Amino acid sequence: MTDHLAQFIVAGLTTGSIYALIALGFCIIHNATGIVNFTQGDFVSLGGLVIYSLLLSLKAPLILAFPLSVLAVTVVGALVERVAIRPARSRSIVILVFITIGVSIFLRGVFKILWGKNQMGLPPFSGDTPINFAGATLMPQNLWIFGITFLSVIGLQYFFSRTRLGKAMRAASCNPRAALLMGVNVNSMVMLSFAFSGALGAVAGIIIVPITTLSYDIGVMLGLKGFAAAVLGGYGSSLGAVVGGLLLGVLESVGAGVVSSTYKDVISFGILLLVLFVRPSGILGHGNTERL
Amino acid sequence: MRIRSFGGRSLWGPLVLAVFIVLFPLLLSNPYYLNVANIIGLNTIIVIGLTLLIGYAGQVSLGHAAFYGIGAYASAILTVTYGVSPWLALVLAALVTATIALFIGIPTLKLHGHYLVMATLGFNLITNIIIVQCDSVTGGPSGFPGVPPLAIGHWAFDSDIKMYFLIWSMAFIGIVLGLNLSRSRVGRGLRALYSGESAANCMGVPTNKYKVKMFVLSAVFASVAGSLYAHYLSFVSPKTFDIFFSVELVTMVIVGGMGSIWGGLFGSAFLTSLPNILSSFDEYKDIFYGLILVVILILTPEGLIPGILQKLNIYRKNRRQRNKNILDDCSDRAGSETIGAIPLSDLSFTTRHEGPNDTILGIYDIAKSFGGIAAASDVTFEVQKGSITSLIGPNGAGKTTTINLIYGVYKPNRGKIVFRNNRIEGMNPYQIAAMGMARTFQNLQIFDNITVLENVMVGAHSISHNEFFISMLHTPSYRREEKLIREKAMEALSFFGLEQEADLPAGQLSFGEQKRLEMARAIVSEPELILLDEPVAGLNRAESIEIAGLMMKIRSRGTTVLLVEHDINVVMSISDKVVVLNYGTIIAEGSPIEVQKNEAVLSAYLGGSL
Repeated sequence: MTDHLAQFIVAGLTTGSIYALIALGFCIIHNATGIVNFTQGDFVSLGGLVIYSLLLSLKAPLILAFPLSVLAVTVVGALVERVAIRPARSRSIVILVFITIGVSIFLRGVFKILWGKNQMGLPPFSGDTPINFAGATLMPQNLWIFGITFLSVIGLQYFFSRTRLGKAMRAASCNPRAALLMGVNVNSMVMLSFAFSGALGAVAGIIIVPITTLSYDIGVMLGLKGFAAAVLGGYGSSLGAVVGGLLLGVLESVGAGVVSSTYKDVISFGILLLVLFVRPSGILGHGNTERL
Repeated sequence: MRIRSFGGRSLWGPLVLAVFIVLFPLLLSNPYYLNVANIIGLNTIIVIGLTLLIGYAGQVSLGHAAFYGIGAYASAILTVTYGVSPWLALVLAALVTATIALFIGIPTLKLHGHYLVMATLGFNLITNIIIVQCDSVTGGPSGFPGVPPLAIGHWAFDSDIKMYFLIWSMAFIGIVLGLNLSRSRVGRGLRALYSGESAANCMGVPTNKYKVKMFVLSAVFASVAGSLYAHYLSFVSPKTFDIFFSVELVTMVIVGGMGSIWGGLFGSAFLTSLPNILSSFDEYKDIFYGLILVVILILTPEGLIPGILQKLNIYRKNRRQRNKNILDDCSDRAGSETIGAIPLSDLSFTTRHEGPNDTILGIYDIAKSFGGIAAASDVTFEVQKGSITSLIGPNGAGKTTTINLIYGVYKPNRGKIVFRNNRIEGMNPYQIAAMGMARTFQNLQIFDNITVLENVMVGAHSISHNEFFISMLHTPSYRREEKLIREKAMEALSFFGLEQEADLPAGQLSFGEQKRLEMARAIVSEPELILLDEPVAGLNRAESIEIAGLMMKIRSRGTTVLLVEHDINVVMSISDKVVVLNYGTIIAEGSPIEVQKNEAVLSAYLGGSL
């Protein structure tokens, strides 16, 4: 059991990293607009689908295909904001959330036509020679996933806390009106947040494809798990998103190993419900209060 | 007001619908469409419950496909495996669903934001997986066949047309019950809590209970639809009840128009038939579906039905009326500015009406801190029955905190609060409202999604009794109470000079009118004690004088007033007693004259002179 445990934890941290990236995407858009963006999962699908086409159909080298795929989804993310969110006549959260659901249905329809319904596969980035580490077997792709997730989180943290643009984005999400008066272009900041979420989704999709099978709707379940991770960690908190993602991945993996893998999703969402019932604001979140 | 635009209590809507339901099968050329009509009917039943939950209570659930599924599977399993009669199975299935909904609703509905969405979404996924995995009970992924049809005696509902009439009768009943509930005391309470949960709670609306009850009720609607589905198709399979169907159901509510039962009917008809209409587009179907959805939501966020109604100028009449009122109002004001500028000192009575002696409210050693900062410590004072007692102090002195502690919005760390000889600390605001206390808010808390009159009627929530069941049936006793409340509310409005504005959406009132509306909403329940949190802040001098006069009028009606106010002129002219707070503690207490001479007050608060 214990030797298996290490293996489960490695597997859990791997999927957990993916969840964390997706949860971060949810988090950034939530902070900018207050909405849950249900196209997040489709950003993940699209990242995987684009790099699949670049690598296999166009035979592009990985070093080129990776940034190109991220760029493509980033642009799609920005377009979603520009075309569907900004022109909306209502600022009601529910309406905006359901606009993203409509966009998600639309995007999935497009993916289905462009890439078909078949399952696809990609080889790992750098071979499949296993590495033994602390009683667990690691594949090189695991290391890629850990490394890229780590770099993304650090980069994002740096961007939001140190750069002028990152601070402007935070100001715009904290108080759009005041930010506007201070000369921040709030519309651009919201668009930028969608672009960022697109990029994060794309990265998640690209790095996970080699260890799973790719299909046009691969992002749906991953998106829901990412949302769950964001809630688990405390919706809107970026550190919470990372912690929630990793925790959800590990719990799910260990739970599936101990009980049964058919109940994997029951375990992860069951844990989520329990956490919501006991500590509703999530692990690192703080509840919001109405002021009278 | 959306609902009211359908003709208030008019029976035309249901009548036209009933005629249409009866005639519709005659218009059909292709029997396949009867099948579509039946599915629309089933979806309509679910959507009515969801419309009330989303559009009225403001709670979005992505788990109603699961409740639909639980109803369907419970009916299937009970009738086939256990040989229970289908009708009894339908009732038992609804009970099972209600119990499950209760268990999910109680913990999650306490929260705001996206939590119900997440919890119900997770619940739907789990339910679906369990249905697929427990194949010995549910038939697993391949489904559960052989569900018998519903029957009355030996007459079975075994054809599309028979089921059409059964399903649409149920849908019709659902629509009528939904319409009744939406126009009732409960419907008002729900919309109030949607607009401002804490404020609604302070008006006497038990917000948590209402949210849970509405959630359970909507789950029961879904369960009944599920049972009908199982008996109609005689076969259930897990795919029908997945998370995507939950999303589709909520989409129906939103596309039709969140605040409208008729909108829900339209949304369900539109989105259920849309895939059939689009089926000729084949693989481009999803793209068009998504596109239509996005375009509708971008262009008519209020939903198609209310959107179309707006285009039909239903609201224009109101607006014209409104403009006229504003003009009248302006000329009135202009008049009162010159005549009504009485110095405030003239308003205070030198001879007091006799003896405010009994203590109606006592606050003893109350303390409250927020994250280490003491907002109130050892606050002790009493309010005499029939008095105007004022609580003053510099910004941040803890005045509003004290009000919120009294009213149960915050729980004190220690100390006791006695109102009419009952301990009330730790009680919920709605319970305190029911004991005869009412309040206004420093930051206006108008329910801007309902009319001025309805706002005041919500204020009477604590003195009325019609609950969910009776509100859905509109019984004679229900109507009597409703009529009484309406009259009381009109009376309160005219007391504050707002009777002309009764049918306007409350959000359209000016700032001064909204302040008076809050006071009307507070006095309608004829409370023993009324807490007024800065009623004249932001008003001009003439308006302040008017409000001061009204406060004295409230006192003369026998209502005790606890006033928090910065306007020293008003406080000193009308108060029987003044309590001065600074840094969360009381620094002085006494008659206006005494307080004005108090050294501590002069130095700490008034800066040395008055």
